[in-house]
Amino acid sequence: MGMIIDVERLSRRFGQSTAVDELTLTAGAGEVVGLLGPNGAGKTTTIRMLATLLPPSSGTARVCGFDVVRAAGDVRLRIGYVMQQVSPMGYYMLTGREKTEIEAALYHVPRKRVKARAAEVLELVGLSAHADRLVQAYSGGMQKRLELACGLLHRPELLILDEPTLGLDVQSRHHVWDHIRQLCQEGMTVLLATNYMDEADRLCDRLTIIDHGREVVSGTPAELKAAIGADSLDEVFLRHTGHALREEAA
Amino acid sequence: MWAQEVLALSRRWLLMTLRERLNLLFSVLQPAVWLVFFAGSLGGAMDARVVGTTDYLAFAVPGIIAFTVVGNGVSAAMPLLFDKETGYLDKLMSMPIRRSSLIVSRFVFQMGMNSAQVLVILLVALVLGVRPATGLAGVLAILVTAALLTLAMTAAAMALACAVPSHGTFFAVTGFASLPLLFMSNAFVPLTAMPAWMQVVARANPLTYAIEAMRLLMLDGWSAGLPVAMGALVLASALLLVVGAWQFGRQTSERVA
Ligand SMILES: Nc1ncnc2c1ncn2[C@@H]1O[C@H](COP(=O)(O)OP(=O)(O)OP(=O)(O)O)[C@@H](O)[C@H]1O
Ligand SMILES: [Mg+2]
Repeated sequence: MGMIIDVERLSRRFGQSTAVDELTLTAGAGEVVGLLGPNGAGKTTTIRMLATLLPPSSGTARVCGFDVVRAAGDVRLRIGYVMQQVSPMGYYMLTGREKTEIEAALYHVPRKRVKARAAEVLELVGLSAHADRLVQAYSGGMQKRLELACGLLHRPELLILDEPTLGLDVQSRHHVWDHIRQLCQEGMTVLLATNYMDEADRLCDRLTIIDHGREVVSGTPAELKAAIGADSLDEVFLRHTGHALREEAA
Repeated sequence: MWAQEVLALSRRWLLMTLRERLNLLFSVLQPAVWLVFFAGSLGGAMDARVVGTTDYLAFAVPGIIAFTVVGNGVSAAMPLLFDKETGYLDKLMSMPIRRSSLIVSRFVFQMGMNSAQVLVILLVALVLGVRPATGLAGVLAILVTAALLTLAMTAAAMALACAVPSHGTFFAVTGFASLPLLFMSNAFVPLTAMPAWMQVVARANPLTYAIEAMRLLMLDGWSAGLPVAMGALVLASALLLVVGAWQFGRQTSERVA
């Protein structure tokens, strides 16, 4: 069984600074792999390389066996990408249903299936009742759930989630977690970047903590906690990445 | 599949435009207001010997069409500009779509919108008593000319949208360039009425050729100057299209192409 994510010594530099530094990361089919790290650690940069949006400076990254640079088209067919920043201005004046249908067509869902598939994913994230309202009138939580729905339109093999519950209330977070769990049971692989340790603890089979673009430690949540005798992932995280604020250090 | 992408994106542009009713209303009204303004005031002040016709309104219609197309060129690039800034362009780029679909859908949409507006202008002109010398076939030819100019202006605006750091610069440049672009052309006065240096500038302006072609169709009929003007316009459009494609390529190659 081939790896869904296979990242080897991946680096990305911006001018003088190195955002991602010789990172190695793997995910097998059906796994939920967490990518943790303080602000500016390089989570989004790593994800952007996997989503074929940013060419690596060195190293290799493969998704479902396809190189993200040389076979970008094959990668795009197989990933769903939920971005960290969602600006509703991106689909100004569109309803949730319209946005979803348009993206379904862009993912090449067969023309006759577009409407049905859009309704399906909206139902899945509990937005059916709000489907015909303008997206700019959605609450932050509804917008995040809509993004999640759109990431599922083409039944991707790999779902890439960049802080999917940022700014959500407790109810919405549990809602999103339930979806993610359900998707995994159906065999989808998930790469989850997050700053919430409880989220990582609940969802991830394995996780990698990075800092300054470099891998600090990897393992299952249980292993990481046991290794230092900690009760929570918060403790593990702070032990490995320190207490200093990142923006000052940089 | 390519058609499906272009269609889906065009639907996005269309919905965004139709929902902004006030914006739409003013876009349609503006050229009509210009027409009435020209008929009423400027027309009386123009010397028929300079303009070459006693019907200044018929003379001005191609200028107003060009004016409208230039103005729409600016709005044509706006979605690209904002997609770049909201990050939605990234989302689109992570999808399995052809890069060209984004641009092509914009051209398709903009040509549709502009054609509708040109028809409104010609209709208002008709009400004011102006009838193209070339008849119905001439109207079609005018639409084709306007479409070519749309291609050129949209490509130029999209190239600029890709090149600028943010929408502030984009609007500064387009605000600065739009009026000189118009007045350094034969939009409102014939080339012969301009000082020599200005004629040289106007001859390098693609607007001049589009206006010349449309003016011949409006006033003179199927004349020998038509293929020349059209040829120059096609050349200019092709050139701007290449520049546009190059800039878009640059914008998207920072991302993986
Ligand atoms: N386009 C860019 N140009 C220059 N530097 C960049 C660019 N994108 C990211 N960086 C830098 O790369 C580093 C990693 O940023 P990244 O967004 O990957 O962090 P992150 O782990 O996602 O942080 P956060 O938790 O705040 O989202 C930062 O120092 C950032 O300033
Ligand atoms: Mg980030």
